[in-house]
Amino acid sequence: MQLMLGWWAAVFAISATVAASVRFMFPNVLYEPSLRMKAQRPDDYPDGATFFPEHRFFLMKNGKQFRAVSATCTHLGCTVNRIADGSGFRCPCHGSVFDASGAVTSGPAPKALAWYPVTLSRDERLVIDMTRQVSPEEQLVV
Amino acid sequence: MLTRTWRKFCSSRIGRSIFRVGLPGSDLERARVGVSSFLLHIQPVKVQSRSLKFRTTFGLGLILLYLFLILIVTGVLLMFYYVPSPELAYRSMKDLEFVVTAGMLLRNMHRWAAHLMVLGVVLHMCRVFYTGAYKPPREFNWVIGVVLFLLTLGLSFTGYLLPWDQLAFWAITVGANISSYAPFVGEKVRFVLLGGNVVGPSALLRFYVLHVVLLPAGMAFLVAIHLWRVRKDGGLARPAEPDLIEEEFAEFELPPEKTYGLMELARGSSAAVGTAQEDTVFSWPHLVFREILLLMLTVAGVLVLAIFWNAPLEEFANPAHPPNPAKAPWYFLGLQELVAHSAFWGGVVVPTLLLVALIMLPYIDTKPDGVGVWFSSQRKTAILIFSICLITMTVLTVIGSVFRGPNWDFTVPWHPNVEEH
Repeated sequence: MQLMLGWWAAVFAISATVAASVRFMFPNVLYEPSLRMKAQRPDDYPDGATFFPEHRFFLMKNGKQFRAVSATCTHLGCTVNRIADGSGFRCPCHGSVFDASGAVTSGPAPKALAWYPVTLSRDERLVIDMTRQVSPEEQLVV
Repeated sequence: MLTRTWRKFCSSRIGRSIFRVGLPGSDLERARVGVSSFLLHIQPVKVQSRSLKFRTTFGLGLILLYLFLILIVTGVLLMFYYVPSPELAYRSMKDLEFVVTAGMLLRNMHRWAAHLMVLGVVLHMCRVFYTGAYKPPREFNWVIGVVLFLLTLGLSFTGYLLPWDQLAFWAITVGANISSYAPFVGEKVRFVLLGGNVVGPSALLRFYVLHVVLLPAGMAFLVAIHLWRVRKDGGLARPAEPDLIEEEFAEFELPPEKTYGLMELARGSSAAVGTAQEDTVFSWPHLVFREILLLMLTVAGVLVLAIFWNAPLEEFANPAHPPNPAKAPWYFLGLQELVAHSAFWGGVVVPTLLLVALIMLPYIDTKPDGVGVWFSSQRKTAILIFSICLITMTVLTVIGSVFRGPNWDFTVPWHPNVEEH
């Protein structure tokens, strides 16, 4: 019986090389904005929506209540625009419309805009955690 | 004058060492030049005179080859000034436009040749389909052609990001997000393509490496095989030769005397057995001169486009503000139009089905009917299905290109679009 050891060795060597090359293409360190972001103090923001361009979310302030909603369209990742009267959001790329709670009212977006938890750090600054999602009703009261 | 100098050079000691034959004057020399010169030996010594008729192919394959050469030459020149990092990429674009001598012209040529190449690949594919030229034994060359089509789109798409302007940034953002809708592997594909979660420096570097090394190398390799197979599969597809052997004998016409030597081994039995004399002419000068003419016309065409129209360059990429409307490159607008209705169907299902159908085509439709004939009446069903797909994609592309305005609302091209923010 022939073991064909040479051929198996070649197959193994090639597979291992391909696997290592594929793994190589996945970076271990990302030079991107952090997904946990520390903003300023609560008083530093005006009532209404403030847009954070680097992290692409809106900080919504209503008196002493804070919430944060993602500005990344759930369809294909364009940045949504806030409709001027505050009634919702609109994506300029493919026309998805979201209401004030982030739910889809029309267009191709498959799901609602994400809401992120807002907390207060020890030095009394707002912290927005984009690794987690919360319901639109959840808010920070300071 | 030019001819005389050339002849003189070719007959000199150095000239003979380089060119061996020089300018051929007899049929023997025409045959010898075809096999002794590296560039000329790629094509056969004699070609069907039918293959030389313009309406057989409209020269589309050759034009594509020339566009690819133009893209390599202009691309390599642009590489001397381009730096693939977000801050410097846009600045090198501005440098090319306003500072570098002929920089603007080269960038324009590169851009328009790329657009023409996408258009040309589609037309070339239509030509091959409508003349039934993908049928056996040319099935696999059609498959290579489909892969070349994908490589062309890949090259164009990766090149699209390099200027790092608004147009580039958002087209790639949208395009990369489409891939995340693919089942199971979508998110991973997007991540590895961008080298991260967002379009950033690593995405630019990856697209650059793909654009200037990997994809062109793959393209050059497959183009070589594609051309080689055209010849090995018996030249351009043509209708079966009528069997004239009876007629030949009836008229007692003997074919002119020929001597044969073994030049190469080709597939199947010798085509010359039992058939009439073929209607062929020498590649030199009939094919070679047409090729040179077409090369000059292609370069001239691209040059005219580049002189009169500038490649677009928008503002520096701003991740916070997508242009309204944000559009993919024009050849993806048919898909984007579908994606505007459903990202999964438009971005994944439809393109995958179309691609599988294209690759399978020569293995499904194998009947030798209508080979080498435009719109053969024996192939009505195949022509109908292909035409419906083609027209649908064309209509969708036109709608996406000119009938979509701000917020992707339906609009008319003559309506003045006011951008809203």
